Amino acid sequence: MLNRRNMLQKMAAGVGAACTSSLLPQHLVASSTSNTTPKRVIFFMQNQGFDPKTCIPEGMSSSSSLAKAKLPEPIKALEPYKERLHIISGLHGMHTSPSHSAFFGALGGYRGSDGVPPSASTIDYELSKVLPKTLLPHLCIGMDSIENMTTKPTIATLSASGAGQPIFMHSNPNHLYQMLFGGISTGDIRLQHEARSNLLNQIEKLAAAKGQSLPSADRQRYNQYVQGFENVNGLRDRLDTVSDHLRKFAPKVDERYTKPEFETDWHDALLDLGISALTSGITNTLTIGSGRGEIFGAWKGLGIEQQGHNLGHMEQPDNPIWIKIRQYNSRMLVRIMEALESVPEGSGTMMDNTVIVYTSNNADKQHTNGANWPVMLLGNFDGTLKTGCFTQLNRKRPINALYTSLLRAAGQNVDRFNMNDKLARKYDPATGPLKEIMT
Amino acid sequence: MNKITSLLALMLSWSVLPVAIAETYTPGQKVNKNFSQLAKPFLATHCADCHGETEPEGNLSLHNLGPVDEVNVGIWQAVWAQVTLKEMPPKDEDQPKVVERLQFSDWIVGELSRVMRDKGGFHAHLDPNKGNFVDHDLLFGKLPDNIKLAPTSSPARIWRVTPQEHITRLNELINREPDFDPSKPGLRTHGDTVPTNHGGELKLYFGTDRIIRWQGGTVAYATAVKSVPVVLSSARDHGLENYPDFYTVNSAESTQILGTAADIIRYMANGPLSIAKPYQITDDPRSIADKMKGDIRGLPTSLVYSTKVMRPLTPVYDLMHEEGNSDERLQAAVNYLFEALTFRPPSQKESNEYLTVVKQSIEKLGKKDGAVLGLSSIFLDRDALFRPELVEKGKPDQQGRVMLQDWELGLAVNHALRYIKPDKELRKAIVEGRMRSKADVKREIERMLADDSIRKPRILRFFREYFDYDRGGYICKDSKALADTGASNRGTSHYRAMFDATASTDRLIELILQEDRDVLKQLLTTDKVIATRSDNVYFGKQRSKKEILASVAGAKKAAAEAAKKKAAELEAWKKANPGKKPPKSKKQNKRRQPNVNHKVSQAKLKGPKIYARVSRRSFGNGSMKPERILATVPEDQRLGILSHPSWLVSHSDAMDNHAILRGRWVRERLLGGGIPDVPITVDAMLPDEPHNTLRDRMRVTRKTYCWTCHQKMDPLGLPFEMYNHAGLYRELELNKPVNTTGEIIDSGDPKLDGKVANAIEMIRKLAESKRTEQVFVRHAFRFWMGRNETLNDAPVLQDAYHAYKDSGGSMKALLVSLLTSDAFLYRTRKDPALFEEN
Repeated sequence: MLNRRNMLQKMAAGVGAACTSSLLPQHLVASSTSNTTPKRVIFFMQNQGFDPKTCIPEGMSSSSSLAKAKLPEPIKALEPYKERLHIISGLHGMHTSPSHSAFFGALGGYRGSDGVPPSASTIDYELSKVLPKTLLPHLCIGMDSIENMTTKPTIATLSASGAGQPIFMHSNPNHLYQMLFGGISTGDIRLQHEARSNLLNQIEKLAAAKGQSLPSADRQRYNQYVQGFENVNGLRDRLDTVSDHLRKFAPKVDERYTKPEFETDWHDALLDLGISALTSGITNTLTIGSGRGEIFGAWKGLGIEQQGHNLGHMEQPDNPIWIKIRQYNSRMLVRIMEALESVPEGSGTMMDNTVIVYTSNNADKQHTNGANWPVMLLGNFDGTLKTGCFTQLNRKRPINALYTSLLRAAGQNVDRFNMNDKLARKYDPATGPLKEIMT
Repeated sequence: MNKITSLLALMLSWSVLPVAIAETYTPGQKVNKNFSQLAKPFLATHCADCHGETEPEGNLSLHNLGPVDEVNVGIWQAVWAQVTLKEMPPKDEDQPKVVERLQFSDWIVGELSRVMRDKGGFHAHLDPNKGNFVDHDLLFGKLPDNIKLAPTSSPARIWRVTPQEHITRLNELINREPDFDPSKPGLRTHGDTVPTNHGGELKLYFGTDRIIRWQGGTVAYATAVKSVPVVLSSARDHGLENYPDFYTVNSAESTQILGTAADIIRYMANGPLSIAKPYQITDDPRSIADKMKGDIRGLPTSLVYSTKVMRPLTPVYDLMHEEGNSDERLQAAVNYLFEALTFRPPSQKESNEYLTVVKQSIEKLGKKDGAVLGLSSIFLDRDALFRPELVEKGKPDQQGRVMLQDWELGLAVNHALRYIKPDKELRKAIVEGRMRSKADVKREIERMLADDSIRKPRILRFFREYFDYDRGGYICKDSKALADTGASNRGTSHYRAMFDATASTDRLIELILQEDRDVLKQLLTTDKVIATRSDNVYFGKQRSKKEILASVAGAKKAAAEAAKKKAAELEAWKKANPGKKPPKSKKQNKRRQPNVNHKVSQAKLKGPKIYARVSRRSFGNGSMKPERILATVPEDQRLGILSHPSWLVSHSDAMDNHAILRGRWVRERLLGGGIPDVPITVDAMLPDEPHNTLRDRMRVTRKTYCWTCHQKMDPLGLPFEMYNHAGLYRELELNKPVNTTGEIIDSGDPKLDGKVANAIEMIRKLAESKRTEQVFVRHAFRFWMGRNETLNDAPVLQDAYHAYKDSGGSMKALLVSLLTSDAFLYRTRKDPALFEEN
């Protein structure tokens, strides 16, 4: 039988395309859950690589504080947030085959490539399971060219809930809005929401009717199928009862949604929705795929005419195009932090209990062997992670060690993530979290 | 347990056992005894001496083992495995009588099922990996007189469709696959499964048959084209993957299916227009050159589609392209989709229910969006995702069995061979009431088996699951370790080669099935291989250091001689043409010069052209190609499928061979032996000693505690050390002659037991064995019945074996026998009595 927790996880794994998933803000269910501090994690995966020179302050070659450093131009928007920032260079992803993209392997810490299905779950999914409950533990959004986002509004390239079980990311903000805030929508979105709600109710009835005469063992198994609809429908009904709360956080649907001038209009709208899902307490884990884990992507709205693969063939440092993209990313990171700082939580704000992991699904550049996989962390995750510094590691430990650290910071007693002893002999000389980043 | 207690217990057991033995035993019937009456005396008689209170063997004391409860289920499960597999009592001890052992085993299963009922249930005995726990000699030999078999049947059930079936079913809605071409029998045709793509991913592709141009090469194409990955999942990657009780459909999958359904319906209605701009649909790409300017690689707008309609035009198309939305049109679309997705027509009630759903959606959203949404609901009908065999109609016989009939029987027969809906003749037979008897089934099975144009992907699926040769592309290799084998570690070439190898092995199996003589023996001993160019390396021989140095030196010498010759020619030319400027030598295209692989003596595979089944174009110009050759393997180096890289790499790991996995495969799939689960106390790690051979490092498995099980696997896997972990033949390992010896022990056939020099000798022996053929039949039974065999299935298995044997090893004969057996035809709705509460 699916319990509520299972259902939420499974629902998160597949908040796919067309479902009107029902969601309830975290604080509205908090009374029935444990007293654990709500925490959240955001993964921001920019494609084409993250050259360390575009984030490490000039002249800084060894681990040190960022207090007196000046952040490089591409990430200068983060200057006011330096005390929340931890720049890490010197992790590796040699085992992930990251040239062009490690795809699921970037967040999974295993070999990935174009067309290769995930071989295990990814860290974002694993964290979503262990962080304090929210209604939709995991939300993935993907930003790409407008043509790709329109034609393929959901794709799965970065996140997975297990071997062969990809998690889809959402790229059409109209669909995502309907999924998250359909209950408080108006106009066409409202009609879509109502039609979909009716459909799912009907499907539940039809499915349930066909389960009544099954032999007992099959009935139990089939009931999990029926119960999936029951839960989806039940939660939606409950969500409708808290629409006032959601209204406070839901973004306004404007012309960027319906008549985008550039793809960046949709990127911004998707980010708004992701932020709303976090601030309203709907989700605890947000994965953002800028370039959707592949080797293409477009940012014409930033005045960048080149697109896709060519961007990856350019050196990133001092490249005006890459400075624009990285600055755009940084502004997005700032928007997330500002939004989370504006919501009180415990004795502080939501941001105090959050970590943003900014990196690339391509390690440091497009054609790379993954010998260096730079990462920026923003936020100390309720005091569990060090901030305000730059750490230079020796390229011995893999990104899996970072993911182990995040699981530790989330309270999990694990020594490794997706790395068995045999692989570790070659790719990870140590076990446990990265002591350099844990408080 | 001290001796006095043991003695008392023994005396107690004497008082009870004769009664038990005198009874008639019928497999599957409830054992009407409690712990004190049955289990306690058994333990006291057969276990207590060694597993007593003090210094118990294996550190396992059964002294205080009471009735099965939540706490001791682990111990009872271990006892069940050891006793059922006849591992315990040890061979040199007194053995329980046959029925005594069977009753004890049944009692434990019954008790574990009862205790675990609310805790996820006890399923170990139902797992295909435990299929061999049923004694082979009892299945194929003479039964003791006090065992009385009951007529067999399978449980009534619903059977979730597999990922391959589901994607093939959906593919039928939007893609038209070519008809079978007898002159090119290996090419993918209508009715074949949708294959995995260049990277091993199972995906549904939209409109690839109409793409006539795209910008960019491989990744750009893969990104631009519309595809959706398979939604249903399968948690198993070795052995039989899909018994009916394995899977359900979770809400994540349901929601994804709903999304995919909308994409499919739109494509059914509008074809590429649902995923492209109108100008992209033209037969003259030059005419839209102005719109295709600049770098648009990876964008859907970089594709040009031909104007030729390729998809099936169905009532869904009619509905969406005609004015209005009459009930007639709507119902036609509902009925069409329902049958396309469930393989049977809807009842009037079902049709009306979905019509209502569609109309409600249209009312809300208008026809265009409402019809798409409403029709999507049919994709989530129970019967679109689960295949029912419920025998709700029909009168049970004395044993409570009901024979499948009409649509349920027709679809069971269809499913036994096919992934797509019944062909016209089968459908007609069902509708006309000619699918109600064993003779009906025989007629249809024989008809379908005789017709090559009726594709039967499920047969090939059985061989994939039986042999497990399709995992090679998914085994992540360490880059250096891969390079050391002699195979290329550049990019994804090795993984691509492995996916190609899987397709090649598929085709080789089909060729052997085409002959249909001594099928298993042929599979095990064929000298044929379907090969791509890269197989010259994979079927080659790994060179020794000395040979590599010689090869490098030879290449250098050849290069030097070539340069010298060139210089001499130039000199001669200058002499002949004094004062003239010599012509420029032709530029050599460096990229076209083949890289010399000094590490491998390549095989020289030659033979006629042949085709293998590959994915639709998924990776632009780098997509998998169907063209292959049918060649003969290097003599004395290879023999049958188990010596092919597809199987060898599937049973390897990142760094090396996986001798234990290979040995286990031989033990279970050829010898019919069972291996108990690894005790949780075992740290199953080999030492990290790069300078020692795998055989040396496996010394840890020879510790007494491990060896009990490992002696059944390791000596069967180590003969394959004649190949490295990329599947290349080798004579040396770590610069010393490789040790390829092994041994068959406890096979159940004394003629088989004994030492072997290498894998080839072992395979030759096994291929001649009657037992091996019987074990093969057991696996075929499991695959087609969707469950493990019980003793009650002994007659079915024996008939199937004889059908196979008497026909000269015909797979077709084996299938006809299995698919007309009671185990296939009959269902029982009642839960087995075995699991009733004791």
